[in-house]
Amino acid sequence: MTKRMFIAVLSLGGMFLASYLTLYKLGYIGELVCGTGACEVVQASRWSRLFGQPVALYGVGFYLAMFAVAVAGSVGTLAESKKISLLLAALSGWGVLFSGYLTYIEIWQLHQICRWCVGSACIVVVLFVLSCADLADYSRAS
Amino acid sequence: MAKKTVKKPDNKKFAGILVAVGIIGVGVIGYAMTHGGPKVMIVDPATLAGAAEGHLMGKADAPVQVIEFGDFECPGCGNFANLTEPDVRSRLIAQGIVGFRYYDFPLPGHKNTWTAHLSASCAEEQGKFWEMHDRIYAGQDEWSDLTAGIKNPLAVFRRYANELGLDVKKWEDCVVTQRPAARLKGNQAEGVRRNVGSTPTLIIGNQQVNSVTYDDFKKLVDKALLEVTKAKADSAKKPAAGKKGA
Repeated sequence: MTKRMFIAVLSLGGMFLASYLTLYKLGYIGELVCGTGACEVVQASRWSRLFGQPVALYGVGFYLAMFAVAVAGSVGTLAESKKISLLLAALSGWGVLFSGYLTYIEIWQLHQICRWCVGSACIVVVLFVLSCADLADYSRAS
Repeated sequence: MAKKTVKKPDNKKFAGILVAVGIIGVGVIGYAMTHGGPKVMIVDPATLAGAAEGHLMGKADAPVQVIEFGDFECPGCGNFANLTEPDVRSRLIAQGIVGFRYYDFPLPGHKNTWTAHLSASCAEEQGKFWEMHDRIYAGQDEWSDLTAGIKNPLAVFRRYANELGLDVKKWEDCVVTQRPAARLKGNQAEGVRRNVGSTPTLIIGNQQVNSVTYDDFKKLVDKALLEVTKAKADSAKKPAAGKKGA
């Protein structure tokens, strides 16, 4: 398994996590399995929507993009492409910034934590680390 | 110096893991959607029915009084609210001819309707019952369990509350604690007392009908108005006749 493959697998997992939150936000799922934490408070806050759409829906889009790029860069002719590494690093870098902003909102504005959001933020950080490592590999190889 | 090569990927293993993650993900989300059930609102059976007040639009002393027994999740009520009611409001209520009262009549088969009625009544605490009433009916397709399969309508109503500029925290506190429950039950009990069996049921003057078009509604209002005028004329004559006899 290459780093890009790990990125694809993690992105797929992240996509399901974000889909779960989106479906909850749209009302298709009755209750969030949250345990301790305040998932519903976070999901109900005014920061849970951006341009009229659930924030989690943008997460679905982000993970989908990461997944598509990572899969494309894992098989076929693009497997040797450094541009894929750059794209993955740029995308995941953006993801880290956005997740950081959301985590800031949770901690400093809402004073509540949603463990699903924290989970997603962790996935994004791992994706970024893997993308940087992948980029380093391809930079050394070229 | 020899060029470093990037490790050749094991595509089969990769595909297998993706398929496995995909199946697990779809399975978990599918399970959450189908087995989560609606977000339950426990209605305390000990809550006594309050006064049947309805929600008034227009004048309480308008010549013709109209009562609607409505259920927010009933598609027929949605049609009435979205298609007929705008004309009723602009042509009859705004003109002072009709006083219109909406009585909550949540039907037991509709899973999300109780939350919808609570949401509207809680909006009334902030003076926006009719705005929420209209928003809920207009958006029936996005929160109804019947038509959209929605399990947690509160998420949608919360958005409406936000759009309407309500104090969402205060509104949600009202919905979750079911502050208007007694009032809803009172309105519902009034429907039972009047033998209401389906929604929407409209009582125009003394005529009880189900959903009608604006033209039919107007005819019934005209008839009720005629009766009111006649009754007024009769009562005006009676004292005069009494004086003659004296």
